[in-house]
Formats: sequence, C-alpha cells, structure tokens
Amino acid sequence: MKIGTYLFQLPATLLICLLLTEPSTAQLERERALPDAPVDHIFWATSNVGLNTVLGMPSGNLNSTVLHTFGLVDGGIDRFFGLDDGANTRIGIEAGIHDRFDLGLGRMTFNNIVDLRGKWNLIRQKRDDSRPLDLALSFSLLTNTQSGMGFDFGDRLAWHSSVMIARKINGLTLQLSPMIAWYNAPEAHFFPASADTPDRLIGLGIIAFYELNDRFALSGEYLPVLGDRNPGSEDTMGWALHIDTGGHTFQIFLTSSQWHNEAHMMANNRHNFLEGEFRFGFNIHRVFGLR
Amino acid sequence: MPARWERIHPGLNFHRNILKLVVQLKLCLSVLILVISLPGLYPGVEKIENPAQETFTASYAAETHPVTDLIYITENGHAEFTSSVPLHTFTGVSDYLTGMIDFEENLIDFYLDLESLKTGISRRDRDMYRTLQVDEHPFAEFTGFFSGSVDPDAGGIQSVTVEGEFTIHGVTREISLDGTLEREGDSIRITAEWILDITDYNIEPPGILIYRVRDEMDVRIDALLEPRERGEM
Repeated sequence: MKIGTYLFQLPATLLICLLLTEPSTAQLERERALPDAPVDHIFWATSNVGLNTVLGMPSGNLNSTVLHTFGLVDGGIDRFFGLDDGANTRIGIEAGIHDRFDLGLGRMTFNNIVDLRGKWNLIRQKRDDSRPLDLALSFSLLTNTQSGMGFDFGDRLAWHSSVMIARKINGLTLQLSPMIAWYNAPEAHFFPASADTPDRLIGLGIIAFYELNDRFALSGEYLPVLGDRNPGSEDTMGWALHIDTGGHTFQIFLTSSQWHNEAHMMANNRHNFLEGEFRFGFNIHRVFGLR
Repeated sequence: MPARWERIHPGLNFHRNILKLVVQLKLCLSVLILVISLPGLYPGVEKIENPAQETFTASYAAETHPVTDLIYITENGHAEFTSSVPLHTFTGVSDYLTGMIDFEENLIDFYLDLESLKTGISRRDRDMYRTLQVDEHPFAEFTGFFSGSVDPDAGGIQSVTVEGEFTIHGVTREISLDGTLEREGDSIRITAEWILDITDYNIEPPGILIYRVRDEMDVRIDALLEPRERGEM
C-alpha cells in the first residue's frame, strides 16, 4: 500500500476509535447556576449625587443614608471653600419591603423637608441579556414642615414621580429618568415664588456611572428642566467619586445644587456648574440586615 | 485501467483487500491502546489519583452488588457557611449545590456556583463575591473518592470518609472530610460538615483593622442525589 493511503486512512480510523472508546471517569461539566440572574452592581447606592438610581433595597435590607452639601466653593479660603456656609443635610432610611419594592423616609435641613419615598423595580437587566434594561418607578411625597409659615398641611405637600431606565455595559451604567413634580402651593417650595410660577415641573435625569475597579467609581449627573421652569432656576449638574470601603459607600462630589431631592433640585437650583458655581458635598450609604 | 498483475490474475485483488483489512485492524488496535494510555486526550476529564479505587471497586463487586449503570446526581443540594466578625455571626446559603457520586468508579464530584450564595444582605453578598473574586473563580469544587468502605444499598445512616481535592479562589488543596450517607428510596442523601480556613486558599478576610471576618468558617452541605442512567450523563 502506498504511504498516501495510510495518511488518508489514519485520521478516519483514529476518529472511529475515539468515538468507540468512552472515558470511565469524568467530572461534571461546570455550569453557572443562575445564567439569567440580574446584573449585579448596576449602581453602588440607591442615589447618585442627588438623583435616585434604579437600585432598590431587597427584602430584609435597610439602607441608611446621610447626604451633605455645603456652600459654593468660590467663597475661597475665607469661607473655607463653602464649608463655613452651612450644610444642607438629609438623613434617611430605605427598607426593603419586598425584593422589588422599598420604602424610605428622610428629613432635610432646608425647609425641614420630610419626604416619604418608594421605589418599585419592575424589570431587572439579566446577565444573558434576555432583559436588556433595568426599569424602576419611584414616587415621593414631600412636605415642608417649617413652622410659622401659615400654610395648611395640604399646601405644604409636593409630589414627585419618575421612571428610571438603566443599562450596564462593561462597568459603565447609563440611566435616564424622566420625571414630573407637582407642588400644591409653589410658594411653599419655590424661592421666590410669583403668580407665574408653575406648579408642575418636568425634567430628565441623566446619570453615567463608571466602575474604575472594585473600590472606586466615577459618575456624572445632569438634570435639565423641560418646558416651564421656575424663573431664575438652573439645570443641576454634579460629578462624583464613589469609594467602596467594604461596609460603606462614600460619594464625594461637586454639584451645583444644594438640595437633596429631584423635586427641589428642579425648583430651586440657581447655580450653573459650567460657570464655576458648584459646591462640595458627600454622601454616606450603609446597608444593614433586618433579619 | 487494471494493473498488469490484475489482468494476469484477477483473484489477486481479493487477497489484496484481505491484506488491507488486516493492516487497518492492526492500526485501529494500536490507536486504541494509545487512546487508553492517554486519558488526557479527553478535554475536561482528569484521571483522579485514587489509590482506594481498585480495592473499593473490587470490594463493591464482591459484595454481590449488581453491575449498575446508575450514577447519583443532584443539582439543588444545600450548602451553607457560617462566619463571624466580632460580636456578630452571619450565614450564607445556597440551594444550587451540584454534584454526582459514581459508586462503580468510586468518584465523587461536587461544585457550587459561589454567586448563588446569599447572606441576606445584598451589599454583603457583593463584598463576598469580590473577596472570592467570583468573576475569575466562579466555583468551589470538590473531586475525590470514598476512602473507606461504603454500601449505597444499606439502610440507615453510614459514616463515610472522602478524600480529594477542594478548590476555591483558584487554590486547590488535598482534604479529607467525614460525613454521612443514607439511602432514601432510590436516592442517596449525603451530609458533611467541616471547618474551612479561608487563609489556606489565599482569601483575605474582609474587614477594617481588627473588625475582620474570622479566618475559619463552618461549612455544611446536605444533598439528596437521585439516580440517573450513566448514558444520560
């Protein structure tokens, strides 16, 4: 027989022999248990600088937050870059009622605003991309609790609602959150308020969040008011460094608004970041187990 | 056109075919021997160093067990660990422990997707996954064998000892574990508990200063393995 014939027959014979011979000892093939699990770490905290994120608290989890903003940094060293100008602080908690629904309560220094908020995670982005987006609804009821203002309880109320849509791609999360806010009596929330002050504001929150590594992330947020707006108000912009210490998430940021909820950011921010009107602030988030 | 010798004697062609068949059979036999001697040819299949396998298989057969093609499988076994930091203890659980026992081959193979472990606090889960570097090392694995006698058909709870390789965080170590085995109808239930020192596997206990997770954590598994034909594997 020619050598060429052997060379032709050898691969075929080898294949047949391999097929006929089964291994006697084999390990299981390793497969992921939850290939369609939700994408993790889409954000590191339930809020960014001032905007809410799609991240909710699952059942049995309690998030505590302390948010601070100070005066404008353009005060220079005389005002210690705004830290001497007093802080607006919001202290709040968010408790997971269900794996997809949480309720929160908080109080802010400015106007003694007390807010009750809820977040409902309708859709979670899946690892296998069978669901490409996170989608959550949020609502909040806010009341100005300052004494001596002469408003009825109903006049002090404001409402805010938003739809948050986010997607994470390779460590970069983008979120859009169209939102609307109603103010029962604008003069209880706007400064200054006039006869032509709108009692309803619409905005579009935009967040870009990028994980540098397991410890650090950067984010930017922008909240333009669409349509009618409070005279003299400016769109809010902020930039943050996120630090994950293993127990807490710190957000250290520069932002134009000193307010800590979207309804008042849209209504009352009077500073333009791009014109150098920004302030220092930091947020602290800590999650506790309720079980 | 036929070769000259075929034209002279057509019967020679028959002898030539017989010769070709013999050569091919010899070739096939050679390759078969080669394949048997090189188990590494199979991707994902490793020959387990198992000095007890021959004696186990012989004793298993000697105990008049019928030759069976059954392998015992689970995909929803329970695994949990209990760990602690100063003044606080927490537990992580998963019901996605996957594994098999092949009594004929005396092979035990289990793995757990570490991202299926939940401690009850989402934030702590995230930190745990980071500590374990689950993106690079998604599984905890054990592959080994029964080092003593075991009778899967016996009633009651049997104490068993297994030896093998445990891998987590990309580090593999030889371990020996004590556990129990019990027949439940057609199925087999196994349990085991042991103490895992995470520093043996290059896992840095998370924490700040002295407030750190203890090096040693208690691990417990409990799984009901159901029979499956070997051919279904």
